[in-house]
Amino acid sequence: MSTDNVESTFLQRTSRWKLIILLLVLALIITVIISLGLGSTSVPVQDILTIIGKRIPFLDSFIDSSSVSAASEAIILEARLPRIIAGVLIGAALAAAGVLYQGVFKNPMADSYVLGVSAGAAVGASASILVGAGFVFFEFRLIQVAAFIGALSAMFLVYNLARVGSRVPVTTLLLCGIAVNFFLFAVVGVLEIIAANKLHDIVFWLMGGYSNVYWQDIWAILPFIVIGIVVAFFYVRDLNLLAMGEETAHHLGVNVERSKQILLVLASLITAAAVSVCGLIGFVGLMIPHLTRLLIGPDHRILLPTSTIIGAIFLVLCDDLARVLSTLFSAMSTRDWPVGIITMLFGAPFFVFLLKKKKQSYAA
Amino acid sequence: MLLNVDGVECRYGSVKVLDDVSLSVKGGDFVGILGPNGSGKTTLLKSISRILKPHKGTILLNEADIYSLKSTDVAKQLAVVPQDTSIGFNFAALDIVLMGRNPHMKRFQMESEKDMAVARKVMNLTNIWHLAERPINELSGGEKQRVIIARALAQEPKILLLDEPLTHLDIVNQLEIMDLVKDLCVKEKLVVLAVFHDFNLAARYCNSAVMLKKGKIFSAGSLTEVLTSENIKSVFNVDAIVTKHLVTNSVFVIPLSPQKSSPSKKCSIHLICGAGTGTALMKVLLDEGYSVTAGVLNVLDTDFETAQFLKIPVTTEAPFSPITVKTHKANLAMISEASTVVLTSVPFGGGNLQNLEAALAAVKMGIPTFVIEEVPIERRDFTGGKAKALLAELKSKGAEFVKDKNELLSLLNVSVEKLKIAKKERDRILDHLKPEEVPKKTKIRW
Repeated sequence: MSTDNVESTFLQRTSRWKLIILLLVLALIITVIISLGLGSTSVPVQDILTIIGKRIPFLDSFIDSSSVSAASEAIILEARLPRIIAGVLIGAALAAAGVLYQGVFKNPMADSYVLGVSAGAAVGASASILVGAGFVFFEFRLIQVAAFIGALSAMFLVYNLARVGSRVPVTTLLLCGIAVNFFLFAVVGVLEIIAANKLHDIVFWLMGGYSNVYWQDIWAILPFIVIGIVVAFFYVRDLNLLAMGEETAHHLGVNVERSKQILLVLASLITAAAVSVCGLIGFVGLMIPHLTRLLIGPDHRILLPTSTIIGAIFLVLCDDLARVLSTLFSAMSTRDWPVGIITMLFGAPFFVFLLKKKKQSYAA
Repeated sequence: MLLNVDGVECRYGSVKVLDDVSLSVKGGDFVGILGPNGSGKTTLLKSISRILKPHKGTILLNEADIYSLKSTDVAKQLAVVPQDTSIGFNFAALDIVLMGRNPHMKRFQMESEKDMAVARKVMNLTNIWHLAERPINELSGGEKQRVIIARALAQEPKILLLDEPLTHLDIVNQLEIMDLVKDLCVKEKLVVLAVFHDFNLAARYCNSAVMLKKGKIFSAGSLTEVLTSENIKSVFNVDAIVTKHLVTNSVFVIPLSPQKSSPSKKCSIHLICGAGTGTALMKVLLDEGYSVTAGVLNVLDTDFETAQFLKIPVTTEAPFSPITVKTHKANLAMISEASTVVLTSVPFGGGNLQNLEAALAAVKMGIPTFVIEEVPIERRDFTGGKAKALLAELKSKGAEFVKDKNELLSLLNVSVEKLKIAKKERDRILDHLKPEEVPKKTKIRW
């Protein structure tokens, strides 16, 4: 191995990274288009492209949509597209939050729920199911608003419990997160006990899924997730340095407490927004960052964008599988398969396979 | 002044760990920070590197309060090599070194060719350029430490803080790294503040030193001013011999392990030694708790110097002179006070044959006598057989022969234990012989 090429290899990383991101975006688009075609009524790819193209300004005048039936258009735009876009957003959100948490905590076990966000959302959602989830609140369903508020309250509770003066040590943060998680899930347990005939709804919400998502849900969470991830990009190099340990990051010119605070708030906002729509989808926030790290290395400058896109692709694919399985097993149960089951059922073995294969390079 | 620490006081909770510490350094200074564990060395570095804000006092970097500066501005001038160098994620060595460029880069900037050139330069300096693409966790401890030092140098700092930078390094690595740092200090006027545990490394590389005791500066100045046996004794509670190193001509410290227990717990031992054969034994016996005497030793003999240092009473003879009758008698008087005599494997010539006779006298006095026979007498008898004959007589009269120091120690301990047991047994018997006391309060009533 000649070390003279090392410099150029490292300097040209940016172009290699751009290529990787471009390819992943392409993969995501293809996944979305294929997913739109899947389901009880099959819609050809050509029609899908026409329907979507028709909705894009300036492009619509060049597209002849006369060949597409109104029924196909309704299925694609009102039923499938929101669900798939929700998958993209939620998958991206959970994976990105996972990257941020793992980086800040310097801990491989950290996931997007580490600060009690999941438990907080679960309490909010369960409580609203008890009250009556159908209640609509400024066009948003109560259950979502309650889950979002629950998630953020839990996060602020954990953050303030863990604070020592002006500093927030990550160890206390992790431990407070665990304690609050246990406590709030106990509250969920109590709510389940008194839920009686609504128990079923709570259990299914906890399994995680977004099969009945509407466009307004997406518009509600989109700004949180997009702005959250974009702002997080300002701190990717700080994340690299934080991975070296907080003192080292401090010595290398990072304003540690401020960066940490901003990153944690961003990650929690992103997660809370996602969880408010989809309930508890496990695995994505924990494993997608690891999987991406296995594939492309630990540098957060490339890890954050790739994890985000891979998370999106992964969740859309899992949801496709959930839809297919729901159709196959529709004779046994009319329930939709929650995508949270799929992510764990298929994601975990795949991850273990990858870990076995590449464990040498991953062992710390 | 590049760095000015003035009256700094730091606390952890209510515990004061630094108390009124002041020092100032200018370009090219290489300051060693010395002190026992818990004396505040690391805390001092922490307050200078803005991790622990002092409760009182100021730290000025180029005349500006270091706590009012931006993180990146400080990082451009001040780099730290920490004690703990564990790294969580598996970055390539070059990635880690490039992180040192962080304070010089803007938020969205990627590393430029200039950053790369700096990284390459410092990695060549630390001799790790060939490891550039290797994952950090596959490197050895020494290589990792070099990567961390390269990262600090990549910051292009004016001041380098080293917190026990050599803990993970073997001796060659230690010297190479310190030579490099010293070189930068001399040529580039880099200021180095380094915590050392090894006095001799500090003495070799620093041009001044600060010795801390319980958070206060106990001594500061040149190495010869700071590293004295008095300072080392009062700060570290360790006896040390301070000389000049023959080769490097820097201050050279030979610390002696701290006295483990006070004498008088056990019995007293008289050493018949010389020519350095007793040196190691003296220290060991003192540590074991025996009180030690020695003789006859010539002044300037190695054993004499050791005895002087360890404050062991010695019967002395003038340098390079044979033992006179007078000294021999004085020695016998000393022997009669001892409860055990030990004869080392000292070579015998015309000058010290009398010491062998002294040992024989000890046996005749009934004092338990041990003879260490590490070197056969044939090879150290320069008296034409007289010494050999005397040694044989010693053996026949009941002196105990042991093959080395360790055997001696175990035998000594056994005999001391025996003595203790014998004493206890005697006390017990004496107890029994005491007339039984009648309890006074007992009154019999009908």
